[in-house]
Amino acid sequence: MRKFTLNKEQKTLTPTEDQIKRQKDFARLHHDYEKIVKRGKKPLYRDPKLFLLLLIIGLMFLLIFLES
Amino acid sequence: MSKKDQISKLSDSELVALAKKKSKYFGALYDRYFDQIFRFTFKRLGGNESVAGDLAQQTFIKAMANLQKYEYRGLPFSSWLYRIAQNEVSMFFRQQKKNYSVSIDEERLMDVAGEANINSYMSIEQQEQLVETLNKLEQSQQDLIELRFFQEMSFKEIAEIYDITEANAKMRTYRILEKIGKMWEEEE
Repeated sequence: MRKFTLNKEQKTLTPTEDQIKRQKDFARLHHDYEKIVKRGKKPLYRDPKLFLLLLIIGLMFLLIFLES
Repeated sequence: MSKKDQISKLSDSELVALAKKKSKYFGALYDRYFDQIFRFTFKRLGGNESVAGDLAQQTFIKAMANLQKYEYRGLPFSSWLYRIAQNEVSMFFRQQKKNYSVSIDEERLMDVAGEANINSYMSIEQQEQLVETLNKLEQSQQDLIELRFFQEMSFKEIAEIYDITEANAKMRTYRILEKIGKMWEEEE
């Protein structure tokens, strides 16, 4: 939550040109954006849930094969 | 004339159309509006450079990600950016477990006092008391007071951010000021 306080120290509430320059970075923004949008999918073998599912299917096939 | 210069001369709607097709063109919009969005978040956060920078970047990432949904409806592109920035700042305040301190200049506080029909001269104690009154307002009411008095925005700009009419922005603000006045009287 926000709490207003009186600016007793006369802190400047307008950024300087240097501060703006420091924060302005389109390359970083583009990189962050790409990371969010094109978030790499996990390879199948690194997904534990999918790995377990494939293992169960494999075991079922093995059982069916052994039964027959 | 270089391609960059040509691009920077395009209007907002032309740039938005280009950026919808290719994200690299969003850079020109970023260059055009970063400074004012950063100034906005910086002031709203009481001068915290790093958080203000992060929130400004987050604003542009969201704008970039939702650009396909953006439709030009006669309002400047900056209003849309301010709306996103406003939501980002509000979300930031909500997420804070401890109170996040936002500094207010004495002059700006006196503007609130004047509009709320409170004493034109105030001692430091009275100023502190008024700040406490502001702290008792709901977050949405504090937002409006911040935009109008601490960000010094016009009613037109506020209306564009909230997507309401100018008259409605005025009415909402004056109702809050009236409430501040009543709270002040009760506390006095």
